[in-house]
Amino acid sequence: MIALTQTLILGVLAGAVYALMASGLTLIFGVMRVINIAHGAFAVLAAFLTYSLWSAFGLDPLLAIPFIMVVMFGIGWVVYQGAVRHSRGSHVSMTVLVTFGIALVLEGVMGIIWGNRSASIRTDYTDASVEVGPFFFPQVQLLAAAIAVVVLIALYFLLNKTWLGRAIRAASVNESGALLVGVSVAAVAALTFAIGIATLGAGGAMLGAIQPIVPGTHYQWIARLLAIIVLGGLGSLPGAVIGAMIIGVTEMLATTYVGSAWPVAVPFLIIFIVLIVRPQGIMGARLREDLVS
Amino acid sequence: MSDAAAKSVQDERRSRLIRNGVLAVLALIVVLFPLIGDASMENTMILALIFAIGASGLNIITGYTGYLSLSQGAFLGIGAYVAAILGRSMPDISPFVWMPVAGLTAALLAMLLGLVTYRSRGASFVIITIAFLFLVQFVATQWVPVTNGTAGITFPLPTWSNAVWGNWPFHLVLVGLLALSILVSWWVRRTKFGTGLIAIREDEGKAGSVGINAPIYKLLAFGLSALFVGMAGTVYGYYLSFVDPIGMFSILNSVVIVLAIILGGRGTLLGPVLGAFILVPVDAFANNYLGGGNIRLLVFGGLLVLLVVLLPKGIIPTVQLLLEKRRTKGTVGLTGSITALADRPLPPPREKLAPVGDTMLLQVTGLEKSFGALKAVDGCTFGVPEGSITALIGPNGSGKTTVFNLISGLMTPDAGEIVLDGERIEGLAPWGRAHRGIGRTFQMTRLFREMTVLENVVAPLRDFQFRQLGLGAVSGSEAEKAEEFLEFVGMQAYRDARAGSLSYGQQKLVELAQILVLDPKLIMLDEPAGGINPTLIERMGGLIRELNDQGKTFLLVEHNMPFVLGLCNPVRVLARGQVIAEGSPAEIQKDPLVLDAYLGDDYMLENRSGDGAAAKGEGR
Repeated sequence: MIALTQTLILGVLAGAVYALMASGLTLIFGVMRVINIAHGAFAVLAAFLTYSLWSAFGLDPLLAIPFIMVVMFGIGWVVYQGAVRHSRGSHVSMTVLVTFGIALVLEGVMGIIWGNRSASIRTDYTDASVEVGPFFFPQVQLLAAAIAVVVLIALYFLLNKTWLGRAIRAASVNESGALLVGVSVAAVAALTFAIGIATLGAGGAMLGAIQPIVPGTHYQWIARLLAIIVLGGLGSLPGAVIGAMIIGVTEMLATTYVGSAWPVAVPFLIIFIVLIVRPQGIMGARLREDLVS
Repeated sequence: MSDAAAKSVQDERRSRLIRNGVLAVLALIVVLFPLIGDASMENTMILALIFAIGASGLNIITGYTGYLSLSQGAFLGIGAYVAAILGRSMPDISPFVWMPVAGLTAALLAMLLGLVTYRSRGASFVIITIAFLFLVQFVATQWVPVTNGTAGITFPLPTWSNAVWGNWPFHLVLVGLLALSILVSWWVRRTKFGTGLIAIREDEGKAGSVGINAPIYKLLAFGLSALFVGMAGTVYGYYLSFVDPIGMFSILNSVVIVLAIILGGRGTLLGPVLGAFILVPVDAFANNYLGGGNIRLLVFGGLLVLLVVLLPKGIIPTVQLLLEKRRTKGTVGLTGSITALADRPLPPPREKLAPVGDTMLLQVTGLEKSFGALKAVDGCTFGVPEGSITALIGPNGSGKTTVFNLISGLMTPDAGEIVLDGERIEGLAPWGRAHRGIGRTFQMTRLFREMTVLENVVAPLRDFQFRQLGLGAVSGSEAEKAEEFLEFVGMQAYRDARAGSLSYGQQKLVELAQILVLDPKLIMLDEPAGGINPTLIERMGGLIRELNDQGKTFLLVEHNMPFVLGLCNPVRVLARGQVIAEGSPAEIQKDPLVLDAYLGDDYMLENRSGDGAAAKGEGR
């Protein structure tokens, strides 16, 4: 029982970081119907940037987060304007190809800069943990989960309490309608993409402190993040949080009780099954358009 | 024939001759390539052939049918693995014996993947194909007793002497497979099967409503798309003499294949082959001279982005478009020019709308449909008498289009019965209902935009048989009949125009001709007079009357009241998802319930605010 609870604790802690990383993916899909396959690669990129800051200047990964977020915001904005923007309006599967192409380019760039081997960030609290009764909470993960919650709450306020948030939501519901009432949809889309990549950056920075980073692992990351948002319902922020918790816990359970090879397959299986059995996921509403077409 | 026309025919013949000559020379070079090239060039050629076979196959589902798949590389790997597993246990048998087995295995698995298109399309389908590829790789890694896991399998030596024959056996078999693959692709394109696939690409819902059994079409297309690449996988495996999960199921293989069809031109016969013959040498160059690995990722990732952004149509269609532009420079297109709609006189408006008998061709009982919390159709009950022109009217959002969608099968009802000619049809798929005699048009016309008008009109199918798949797309008798219907609606002058280039009103007429091919018992028109000019409205009314005189029964949704009242009897009035009144036009005009429903919300705002929920969500 203690072992099970411990597994659940670790799963929820991992889930919090996953939720933060998936929030950008679901936000980008919700607003512009673009499935950003490069999301995993951006996460690994943020982790590598954090790694470089740490190894060159000794900057603590958690303190690097604001800086990384700003840099990732800029990168997201540039990539959106340079590539993603041009594929909008063509068939959805074309946007998938473009973002997939971006993922490959990022993987290649990271391979050239940091090499195709694993890098780890070791801080003085890397191996420390907080013990409460019979349970232990790894300190890194505890801090990361706390930061994830803070950033998610900030994102929630941004979307629900600011003009920009209203504009983003308006653009996601009805693009031409938003255009007509004076929302510059093009600018909103670019900002949304950049914000999505910036929140991901926060998650990626913590990722570097939690586990070793390798360029080629972006496939696993995008699989995991896609599984999360597909499970929660594409475009739904609360859905992404719920999906992240489920995936985090399931992975921990699979590692502990089934075998360490299985977590690799879990996300792909979830994607496969959910998209076939319940394409709208947990929180996604089934729209009238979906039924007709 | 004028001089100019004769000259253009001559020009066309000459350019076709040049094209065929060039193709023949290229084909000869490919066949005899091992005589020309050195070992490294030969290696590139073999890979190019393999990827060309893969691309040509993928073109059937991506180019023709419109499903983009990143799992084509998986079927290459599956073919190689099947050969490896069989070859390992029976090393003395010729590798080419395993080829059909590998091809069929790949085809069956592809059909399994095709099953998911029943539920998912567009972006979710692409994601599923990526997941499929990784799951296949996972199985190859974990199923150690059969696949030998990450260690991979080494192939037995081929049964022929490598010193004597070199790569010739591999090369020639691949050339044969590619030729076969192109031939099949060419054949598919000109059969009913191919037209059906293109109809599915253009508009899958519409394809169903004109009688195309999409699931069977798609399953066959998926099977066909993987058959040859699975066979090529056998050769690939024996050529490399080793398979392992990382190399065989690398997603880059799938990327190269997808890139090939985008570069060459989706949906064209030779575009995918051309694409593969350009990309594989680029890949070889990146591998040999630029250091491979990360550079390869940069090259292919960059190409993917650039191609989709800069050349989304691909080389062949872009060149064709340029040539076409040059050829037709200075000539005037048919669309937009004034042509007489038809000289045929229309039947005069009737003095009195004849009452019709009591036999109901269509009977709808207790139909219900909800979208989330919104009950769009709520216990709808009405009949359409045989031989009548029945109207279904009601305020915006009263559920008319949803009722249409429920009857034609685009949506399934939550409850209720639909009986056509004594048979319950609410459980049938759209094409099943089309085969039983329901033809419908759409409020916003839904023609297959990239097809010509004539192709649109011959696309509908009145039944489904396997042998029909192989028939020519536009056969003589069918074309004749289709032209008859086009003439009937006055659109024969536009038979070769692209459907998407027609005006909205013209599209409505073509859509009517299109469903007439189904020879429907019940013709359902969604706003036939909406958004078109008065002359055309009159013409539409005349056509409906004429068809009705010939014995066709109609069900119309329409907002144009003079049109409805002068044409239809009986009239059913829908409000809040229920039929609130029925009767002759005269009765309906006087019915207080109807007045209430139409004047509704504004009129009652003062005393019953908040009860106007029915006006939500205009039906599409």
